[in-house]
Amino acid sequence: MNGSARSNALARALFGALSVGSLLFTWWLVTSLELVKPLILPPPSDVWVGFLDIWHGYLNVPFWNHFLASISVMLGGYAMAIAIGVPLGIFMAWNRAVDWVVGPLLQILRPIPPPAWIPLAILWFGIGYAGKIFIVFIAAAVPCILNSYLAIKQTPPELLSSARSLGAKPHTLLFEVAIPSGLPTIMTGLRIALGIAWASIVAAELVVSLAGFGFLIMNGYRNLESNIVFVGMAAVALLGLLMNLVFHRIERAMLPWREDQDNG
Amino acid sequence: MPNNLSYENVTMRFEGRSGAVQALDRFDFQVKSSEFLVIVGPSGCGKSTLLHLTAGLYKPPTGRILLGGEEVREPGPDKAIVFQNFSLFPWKTVHDNIDFGLRINGVPAADREDQIKRVIRLIGLDGFENHYPRQLSGGMQQRVAIARSFVLKPRTLLMDEPFAALDAQNRQIMQEELVRIWQTQRPTVMFITHSVEEAVFLADRVIVMTRRPGRVKEVIDIANITGDHHWRADPFDEVIRRADFQDVRSRIWGLVKSEISVRN
Amino acid sequence: MADGTAEPSVSRLPAEADRVSTTRTLGDRIEALPNALRVGVMLFFWLAVWYGVVELFGVSKDFLPNPIDVISRIVRLAWEPVGAGPLLTHAWASIVRLLWGFGAAIVIGVPLGLAMAYFRPLQWIVAPLFELFRYIPPIAWAPFAMFWFGAGSSAQAYVIFTSSFAPILINSFRGVQLVDSRLIDAARTLGAKSWTILFEVALPAALPHVVTGLRIGLATGWMALIAAEIVAGTGSRDGLGYLILQGQQQLHADLTIGAMVLIGILGSLIDLAIRAVEGRFAYWRS
Repeated sequence: MNGSARSNALARALFGALSVGSLLFTWWLVTSLELVKPLILPPPSDVWVGFLDIWHGYLNVPFWNHFLASISVMLGGYAMAIAIGVPLGIFMAWNRAVDWVVGPLLQILRPIPPPAWIPLAILWFGIGYAGKIFIVFIAAAVPCILNSYLAIKQTPPELLSSARSLGAKPHTLLFEVAIPSGLPTIMTGLRIALGIAWASIVAAELVVSLAGFGFLIMNGYRNLESNIVFVGMAAVALLGLLMNLVFHRIERAMLPWREDQDNG
Repeated sequence: MPNNLSYENVTMRFEGRSGAVQALDRFDFQVKSSEFLVIVGPSGCGKSTLLHLTAGLYKPPTGRILLGGEEVREPGPDKAIVFQNFSLFPWKTVHDNIDFGLRINGVPAADREDQIKRVIRLIGLDGFENHYPRQLSGGMQQRVAIARSFVLKPRTLLMDEPFAALDAQNRQIMQEELVRIWQTQRPTVMFITHSVEEAVFLADRVIVMTRRPGRVKEVIDIANITGDHHWRADPFDEVIRRADFQDVRSRIWGLVKSEISVRN
Repeated sequence: MADGTAEPSVSRLPAEADRVSTTRTLGDRIEALPNALRVGVMLFFWLAVWYGVVELFGVSKDFLPNPIDVISRIVRLAWEPVGAGPLLTHAWASIVRLLWGFGAAIVIGVPLGLAMAYFRPLQWIVAPLFELFRYIPPIAWAPFAMFWFGAGSSAQAYVIFTSSFAPILINSFRGVQLVDSRLIDAARTLGAKSWTILFEVALPAALPHVVTGLRIGLATGWMALIAAEIVAGTGSRDGLGYLILQGQQQLHADLTIGAMVLIGILGSLIDLAIRAVEGRFAYWRS
């Protein structure tokens, strides 16, 4: 059993190295033989140049400015979405009157995709931080609200009955039973929101910005520098991955009682 | 304080998906203080409803339930309920699960630790204080659930098929354990089961209920048959082989079966 | 009941548990109303709030028009052309792009996902590549898509493809992977050969997952479509995203908001349609 599992893992690693390796090799081959134009696919050397260019301050903007521009807006909007969305979702699930009043409004706003808010945000807040934070907030708030709502609604009835028969009053039921019981679902919502928030800030920066990774990508496009676009995309992906890993750590630390946390 | 339960013409109806369902019909019964009462009957005969009503989780639209002469109006720690699926709080350790009821009922911290230690020893789970429910076997989880109720010194212990989710071996052990734990305080027990052996082994009296709407079909006074030396004082596997035990068992099974077969 | 008291309904909702009693409160009466009526009344209330805020504070129409302005703008859009034409032109352009990108994602994603679950080496080859690209937000592909296809419909369709592809692939893969192995064992003991198992056991059992993947893929594709039309739309003068952008650039907030409303409605209709399809495919599931 153990032996075959190990040989499976070995085969997996081998095939993985093979596939990623041949992708990189093909990339190097077609670009160095000049089978495709650098605009269509920049050769690895160009990408390295592009990276150094950005690292040392592309268009005289220091790298960390781009990093801070994207991350600060992203985290600001995300934090706002959590701070407002989670309590609102919980409140809606716990109090039917709130649900009746706020629910229909959310049902109307929900099907509007977050990028559709970008032009309106520019119209309302201009092209600065406020507009982008608004977009991230709108995008991230929806999964925060929905999952918090579901989390509370799906509290196992027996847990509530048990707690009541142990003498719990309504506020104890909410804070000590429904919320902890729903925490995994809430955290899933926050994780979905994290991905959507990151994609939204990139989209917003693509439309209009003076700094940030989306700005880099769009500027690379306008100047026909596909290597800059490439590096911008890679940076976005890498940061997205890092944030996801950090979130996963936090999630595990917050839910030590869970068996297997899915890696979805 | 007398812990007898009186049911006066208790009726209960639910709004089901296919119209109103009458769960209980003029249920009239007296349970003696410190009695171990077991209820058997076909599925859906309103046994569980009866327990929920007794716990004060719902109010019967007509009729009254009295505990020690006082009408049951709301759930509370004097009416502990134990469910089939254990209903432990999965995010709390064994210690914190047991502590929950003590804490929310305002027991001082110093006393709590003492009581928790004692009840954990009573259920034989010393050393498991900091385990989460998922780390325990079904039998251990149900011990914790019993301890969580028992530590509040309930006047009545309501058990809704508590051992149905356990395998046959564990079930037998838990039956004997329950008798031992119960003897230390002797609250009035209302115990629901589908197992006729379990009923005959544990009960002072067994109620056989009719199919829905549930009514008392027959009451079998086990304590009267066994005299002072109750069956539950001996090991289950010895008792079950006795001819007098088997007589009572098959008589009760006949009563239950007639309620099931009428239905088909 | 004989004495005429109302029957309580035992609610399974957490907070409602306490409310089970023989007396009906105002809340219980509202709860008993038809859902559509409650929602309709509340929507009317929110529209009134919107209208009231705009009129009371004299908000500029360029900033936030009142709902009547927006509705009339939507109605006028039916025949008044903006850019390439009136509303139907734009809606049609968007849907065609969506179908191209989504269609390509199905054609590649479904067979690949199924095959990956069936042939493990394929899974080992594709999975690392998939992980490599997974964290790139679909819209970030827009510049390369425009380098490759020009700034037009094809580039937009490609962005939609990158967005729909992942959920379609993953769900098709999981669908086969999650087939209860006991079903396959049962089929084998009944004498089924591997092709029979594939077509009569694995695929039917996986189908609901596949359709769920299509639903999610369509939803993410719809989101990517709007983003692509706003970001990668420099070459085209049609699409619902284009309408939003036009409204912003010409300071016509009524057009922007009107187009957002239309996008929301159309998105909901598409979702409803595919949910109906999903229900048909999963009829045997509880």
